[in-house]
Amino acid sequence: MSTTRRKITIDPVTRVEGHGRVTIQLDEAGMVEQARFHVVEFRGFERFIQGHPYWEAPLLVQRLCGICPVSHHLAAAKAIDQIYGVDPKDLHPTATRIRRLLHFAQVFQSHALHFFYLASPDLLFGMDAPVEKRYVGAVAMEHPELARKGIQMRQFGQELIKALAGKKIHGITAVPGGVHKTFHPEERDYFLADNGAPSIDTMIQWSQDVVAFIKDYHDKNFHFLDSFASYPSGHLGLVGNDGALEFYDGRMRAIDSHGEVTLNDVDSDSYLKYFGEGVEKWSYMKFPFLRHLGRKNGWNRVGPLARLNVCDHISTPLANEELREFKAYTNGRPNNHTMHSHWARLIEILHCAEQIRILLNDPEILAEVERPPVNRRPEGIGIIEAPRGMLIHHYQADEKGSITKCNLIVSTTHNNEPMNQAVQWVAKNVLDQQKEITEGMLNQVEVAIRAYDPCLSCATHAMGQMPLMLTVLDADGKIIAEHVKNSK
Amino acid sequence: MNILFGIGNSGRADDGLGWALLDRIRQETDYQIEYRYQLQVEDAELISRAEHVVFVDSYRGELPGGFQWKPCEASSETEFTSHVLPPGAILRLCQDLYGKSPRADLLMIQGSSWDLQTGLSPEAEARLDHALRVFRERLPV
Repeated sequence: MSTTRRKITIDPVTRVEGHGRVTIQLDEAGMVEQARFHVVEFRGFERFIQGHPYWEAPLLVQRLCGICPVSHHLAAAKAIDQIYGVDPKDLHPTATRIRRLLHFAQVFQSHALHFFYLASPDLLFGMDAPVEKRYVGAVAMEHPELARKGIQMRQFGQELIKALAGKKIHGITAVPGGVHKTFHPEERDYFLADNGAPSIDTMIQWSQDVVAFIKDYHDKNFHFLDSFASYPSGHLGLVGNDGALEFYDGRMRAIDSHGEVTLNDVDSDSYLKYFGEGVEKWSYMKFPFLRHLGRKNGWNRVGPLARLNVCDHISTPLANEELREFKAYTNGRPNNHTMHSHWARLIEILHCAEQIRILLNDPEILAEVERPPVNRRPEGIGIIEAPRGMLIHHYQADEKGSITKCNLIVSTTHNNEPMNQAVQWVAKNVLDQQKEITEGMLNQVEVAIRAYDPCLSCATHAMGQMPLMLTVLDADGKIIAEHVKNSK
Repeated sequence: MNILFGIGNSGRADDGLGWALLDRIRQETDYQIEYRYQLQVEDAELISRAEHVVFVDSYRGELPGGFQWKPCEASSETEFTSHVLPPGAILRLCQDLYGKSPRADLLMIQGSSWDLQTGLSPEAEARLDHALRVFRERLPV
C-alpha cells in the first residue's frame, strides 16, 4: 500500500460535451480524502448579452452550445415572449405546436447521440475494455445494426429541426410572440413516409427496439446497473397540470429520495423564491439548491431519471407502458440508480417519437400563425426541460428594450452536486486503497459522470480549450505520474 | 455525387477558412457544398453516397507554403469529445457502417488569428488565395 499522499487528476473527462476535470486526493494510506468534479471553463454569456435588444436573446444565447441550441432558443423565446407581452397560454396554438415539435425533435436527436455515441461503448464493451474499443467506431464494427439505427435516429431529429428552423444547428424558429415560418405540407410529408429516409413510424419502432435492448441489457447486468454510482438524492422536473411528463411548459415539481414532495408543482415565475445557487472556489459551475432545504440537503438531480421519478404518467401510450414497468422495478419509490438514467433516456426517446407523430398528423400544425400585438413588460422567465434536465432563462429589459439582466440555470448546473456525488461514490468504492490506479478504474469515474450527459459548455457558457492530462501528485505537489489522453 | 465540406466557424476569425473557401468556390463547382462547425456522426451516411469528398479546414500550426492538400485516409483516431470528429474518423465510420470508402482529400489552410471576430486575417486571406489556385488545379471547376 502506498505511503505517499497522492492526487489523481482526470483531465479532461471524455465523451461528455465540453471539458471537465476530476481530482481525487488520496491520503498516506491510500484512502480517498477528497473527490471533486471541476468545471473550469470561462463564463460570460449572462454578461455580454446585456445591452442587446431583447428579441436577440433567443438568437444569441443558443450559441452557448452546438448540441442543444434548440433548448436554449426555446427557453429564451418563452422568456422573451413575456417581455413582448405574451404568456405561453396566449401564444397562437400553431406556434405552440411548432415549438413543441421542434423541441421533441431536439430531445430525440440529443438522446440518440448520447446513447449511441457516448454511452453505448461502456455498456457494450465494459468499463475495462481497451481504450481504442470504447468509442462508437467499435460499436459500428461489432453492432452495425444498432449503430446504423442510432445514426439514423439522430439524423431524423436533425432533419426535422432543419425543416422547422432552417438549419440543423443554430437555426431560428421562434420570434417574440410566435414563430417566423409556416410548416408546409411537403415538409411535413417527408417525415411521414419511408421514402429513402426512415419515417416517423420507423422511428417509433426503432425506439421500441432500443428500449427493449436496454431492458434486456438490464436483465443480464442488473447488478452493475443497480449498484454502480447509486446514491439517494432529490429529483426535479417539470410536470403538466395532470402530473404528466412535460418538456415544453409545465410546473416545477421536486421530490426527495423517499418520494416526499419538496416542491409542489409551482409556476416558473416563482423560481427565484425557491432556488438559490451556491458557489465553490474550485469550480466555475454553480450549485443550485432549494432554499427551504438549504445548500446541503436541497440539491436535486435533473434529466431523464429525475423526470421519470417526478411525473405521475406519460401522455403517450407506448412510453407510458414503459414508465409503468420502470416505476414498478423500484416498487413505485424514487429510482436512485444512476445508471438507470440510460433506461429513462430511452423511454423518453420513445415518448418524443410518439409526440412527433401526433404533431405531424395534427392538421393545425400547418396553419398560418398570427402574432398577438406587442404589450411590453420588463421581465420574462422561460423554463423548459432540455435533454439534460430543467433549463431556466430569466431576462429583464429596460424601457428601450435593451436587456439589463440575464440569469441562466442550465441542466448540467443542477446536476453539479449529483455528479460530484457520483465521483465520490466511484472514488470510495473503486479507488480506495488501491495499490495501482488503472485506466479502467479511472474510466469508471467518467462512466458515472457520463450518465448525466453533462454539457459543460452550457453550464459555464464557455469558450476555449483545455489540455488533456491525467496527473498523480504526491503530498508536496510533485508530479509522480502523468498521462496525456487521446487529444490531437 | 461529390461533396465539399468546409469545416470551421466564421465567428472565430481564421477558423472560418474552410467556409471562406466554400464561399469563393460555390458558384463555380457542381460539388455539393456542406458547411460544418464540426463533422457529425450522421455525415458518415452522407459520405457513403459520395464518389469523392474534400474536407477543407483551417490549420493551427505551420504549413510549408501556408496550406497542404493531401489524400485523406480512414483512421481510428478519436478525440476526447463529440465536439471534435476528425475527417479520418468519419471515413472510418462510413467504412464500418456502410461498407463504402469514397475517395477523399483534405485541404488544410494555415490560420493565424483565432479571436472572436468575423473576417480573416490578412495572412490567412493570402494563404486562401494560394490554396484556391491549387484547389482549382486539382479539382477543375
